[in-house]
Amino acid sequence: MSTLGQLVISGILIGGIYALMSIGLTLIFGVLRIVNFAHGEFLMVAMYGAWAITRLLGLNPYVAAVAIVPAMFLFGAIVYRMIINPALDKPHLVVVFATMALSIFMQNVALMMMTADLMDVPPIFGRSITIGPIYIKVELLLGFIITILCTVALQWMIKTTYLGKAIRATVQDGEAAMLMGIPVPRIFLITFAGGSALVGLAACVMMPLFSVFPTVGLNFVLIAFVIVVLGGMGSIEGALLGGICVGVVQSLSSYYVAPAFGQMFFFVLFLFVMIFRPNGLLGQKGAATIGMNE
Amino acid sequence: MRSFLRLSAMFASIVLMLGTNASAQEPIRIGVLLPFTGPLAKNGIENWEAMQIARDMINERGGLNGRKVEYVQGDATTPNAAISETERLITKEGIKITTGSFASPLAIAVSQAAERHGVFHWETTGAAEIITRRGFKHTFQVGAPARKYGQAAVDFVVEDLSARLKKPMSNLRMALLWENRAFGKSVGDGIRAYSEKKGIKLVYDEGYDQTATDMTPIVQKLKDVKPDVLIAISFPNDAILFQRKAKELDFNVNAFIGVSAGYSAPDLRDSIGNSVTGIFVADFPPKVNANVLKPEVKKVAEEFYKRYEAKLKRAPAGHAAAGFSAVWALFTEVLPKAKTYEPAELRDIVLKLDLPEGSLVNGSGIKFTNFDWPDDPKDAGQNLRASIGVWQWTKDGNEQVFPPSLATHEPIQVPLPGWDKR
Amino acid sequence: MLVTGAVSTKKPMRVPILPERGRLSWFELVLLLVCIGLVVASIPSSLRDVILLSFLFGGLALAWNIAGGYAGLISFGHAAFFGVGGYTSTILLVHYDITPWIGIWFGGTIAGVFGAALALICARLRGPFFILSTLAFAEVVRIGALNWSSLTGGPEGLSIMPTPGLASMVFASKATYAWLMLGYLVVVYAITKALEASRFGYYLFAIRDNEDAASAAGVNPLLGRTLAMALSAALTGVGGSLFAQYFLYLDPTYVISPELSFQFALLPAVGGLGTAIGPVLGSFLITPLSELLRSYFGNSAAGLHLVIYSLGLVVVMLYFPSGLAGALAKLARWRPFS
Repeated sequence: MSTLGQLVISGILIGGIYALMSIGLTLIFGVLRIVNFAHGEFLMVAMYGAWAITRLLGLNPYVAAVAIVPAMFLFGAIVYRMIINPALDKPHLVVVFATMALSIFMQNVALMMMTADLMDVPPIFGRSITIGPIYIKVELLLGFIITILCTVALQWMIKTTYLGKAIRATVQDGEAAMLMGIPVPRIFLITFAGGSALVGLAACVMMPLFSVFPTVGLNFVLIAFVIVVLGGMGSIEGALLGGICVGVVQSLSSYYVAPAFGQMFFFVLFLFVMIFRPNGLLGQKGAATIGMNE
Repeated sequence: MRSFLRLSAMFASIVLMLGTNASAQEPIRIGVLLPFTGPLAKNGIENWEAMQIARDMINERGGLNGRKVEYVQGDATTPNAAISETERLITKEGIKITTGSFASPLAIAVSQAAERHGVFHWETTGAAEIITRRGFKHTFQVGAPARKYGQAAVDFVVEDLSARLKKPMSNLRMALLWENRAFGKSVGDGIRAYSEKKGIKLVYDEGYDQTATDMTPIVQKLKDVKPDVLIAISFPNDAILFQRKAKELDFNVNAFIGVSAGYSAPDLRDSIGNSVTGIFVADFPPKVNANVLKPEVKKVAEEFYKRYEAKLKRAPAGHAAAGFSAVWALFTEVLPKAKTYEPAELRDIVLKLDLPEGSLVNGSGIKFTNFDWPDDPKDAGQNLRASIGVWQWTKDGNEQVFPPSLATHEPIQVPLPGWDKR
Repeated sequence: MLVTGAVSTKKPMRVPILPERGRLSWFELVLLLVCIGLVVASIPSSLRDVILLSFLFGGLALAWNIAGGYAGLISFGHAAFFGVGGYTSTILLVHYDITPWIGIWFGGTIAGVFGAALALICARLRGPFFILSTLAFAEVVRIGALNWSSLTGGPEGLSIMPTPGLASMVFASKATYAWLMLGYLVVVYAITKALEASRFGYYLFAIRDNEDAASAAGVNPLLGRTLAMALSAALTGVGGSLFAQYFLYLDPTYVISPELSFQFALLPAVGGLGTAIGPVLGSFLITPLSELLRSYFGNSAAGLHLVIYSLGLVVVMLYFPSGLAGALAKLARWRPFS
């Protein structure tokens, strides 16, 4: 029983972290209807940033978020201006390959600048807290709480603020929104930059948990894709739910079947959801069948 | 017209003369296939640094028969890139000798391409057994085959730890965790087979993918089976994740033996701090008891360590030392005896080598199998004297602890203290 | 987007200069002669390597293009079919001693079945959902191959003995391989051309361009999609078998990798989607280019060649979205003297 409890709790907590790194992706998808294949490398760059601030300035990685989040916002805006925006009016494959090329570019620039060494930050909290027989790592719990707060704040922002309403209008009907005087290109820019900023936040939360190296993004990007589709592309609470699902499925299948199959199970889960509920758990109806990009 | 012909004939003969003149001084070019990019780049680049030191040292000594050694790099980032790059070095650069490759899947690929062209491949660290079991004639695996890593670990448990832990082998619970790539699987298979032969039953035996991001299920299962000794074959990133997760879930074993790359990487101390102290590592020895080395090898070893530390600001990992040892042996034991540097000639030289342990910087000797090995007659080019030992992370470095002949130190921290006391 | 015009079979038999849908042109004939010339000419062995890889990847890009370009099924999972094809013929050769000359057909067939399965799994999905599902599908196949060691050799992969022999389809001479790959390229090209002119081809264009209209006109979109994917997968599987026979080593981590799937899609994207000549041109440009960059910059700094490669890619994608074939079509429309 304590084993099952530990697996589920750990699965939920790590799922929260997965969700946090996927929210930016789902947001960008929901509004711009593009998949950013360089998402993992955005995470990598932000993790290097968090690492540098922690190691060089001696700050706490959570504090580093104060610098990393705006920096990633700026980075996202630049990438949007230089690569995404020129690709938007071209066939869908163009943006796919442009972001893919960007990911190769970022990986190898990182390799040249940072070498392939693994970089870490020292642990912040010494020991896990225990609830009965269950161990909970403080950094993991904190990450989960940040994810929840972030989800709630984003929901509030989208429901109540002018920006949020403009975003929703753009999602529903870009042309109509444009006619209503909503600056759609600027909404796109803000969303892409904002999505990147969220990756920056995720990176600060992940830095105490994972090492960073040039290809670290590869380990996470497929998980993020699965989560985003599972939760329903564009759905923020869907990403949270999807993240938790992936975390728990991975945890239980690795324990009860075999660790080698842990990843296979969430891909199989993903395909099943695609067959029977193609819009994801909380996605917009018809999103998958319309394709939302054509 | 005639004068023109004469002129051009003269010109041609000058060019020819220059050409032959140059060829006496022409460097000996060796293809180095290593992962310079991609996920394995870290280890590949460390190996490259070590090999460069060997090249510089030999060139400073006047090279080989008056010829300098020159490397031509090939970026073997994946097995198929390894094949393309090997093909390129052989066909475009005219390389006849290749070395390097670091990881088993790359070694399998590089040797495949080299063998196809009849090129001599001097594999430094690739360990999978299949490398030498395909009946290849020109592939020589200087480093230890996967089986040896496992045997070293298991022998250490049987001959040393069992007594130290005051648990007879019949009572000792041994667990095995392996990463599911060519090296991990090959070593895991070796340990399983060897334990069976020794009558040891494994209480846990699972593989996992290197890119795993959550180690909870693995650590939790290990907690549930309560092993005394855990042997884990890991790469750097997953080794760190495992250790952190073990700390998080307070999973303790009496002895932890890591195998190769993940646990021998110097980064491990940066990543998990002092809790690294006490972990055993079955791998190429990063530094062996200097007393076992031949006197002249001892001097070379000292110089290598000095240069490596000066260049990279840290001591070399076992695989880097092994990379150096292998190419140094190539420079000092093989190539000086060659006249044509043709693969067939090199093969004859190499098969005659009979170097006792302690002839290479990392304590190895050289004696290759040649389709005559009782275990597997298809096997050729496996080095029977490659040394794999067990060393231990200590408070401020590492010490060789097993086998006794190579040991520099007694094992400490047996049984391993719990996470709260480390 | 290409115009799905009426079939112009009534026109007199004039061979066009530049490629047109469903018809052979001088351009293609000359290109074929150049290819044959490249195989026959006594060129350095290293160049031959690049040339035969360009042929192989040209064929693979064409195979991908049948699904991605003609039927609009943008797949990032074709490495799965490639791997299935390669593994099938290699397993038959290594474990059962069946010659790859037969094994290749099995490889193609089984890959085709996998393709049909993927099309059915993704029947309702479009756009990015489809792309990501194909990616997940290939990952499932990869992890399966990695763990089914008794059959696939698991992470240690499968090796074919490099002893030349006609029965084992292993050759000492690169020229033989070049012929083999060129043959593959020509066959896939011929299939593509036949498809362009066929009724089935027009069904696919109709499904791609407007599914509702197509199905109102009596075309069964699911059937069309499934057949297109199966054909594309089968041809990719054959390419996988040839790849195995050339490289003589299969490792699931590479052979079924997302990177390889991207490569299959990238070549037609650069060359020109939904055209027959595009994927070939894409492969003839990209394959030598990436080899060249690696050999020139691979020695100077780790990763530099990939930095240059990816930068070039971004520029090409952004400024030449219709690919080389698009540029060629522009050239065809260019009338400097009128």
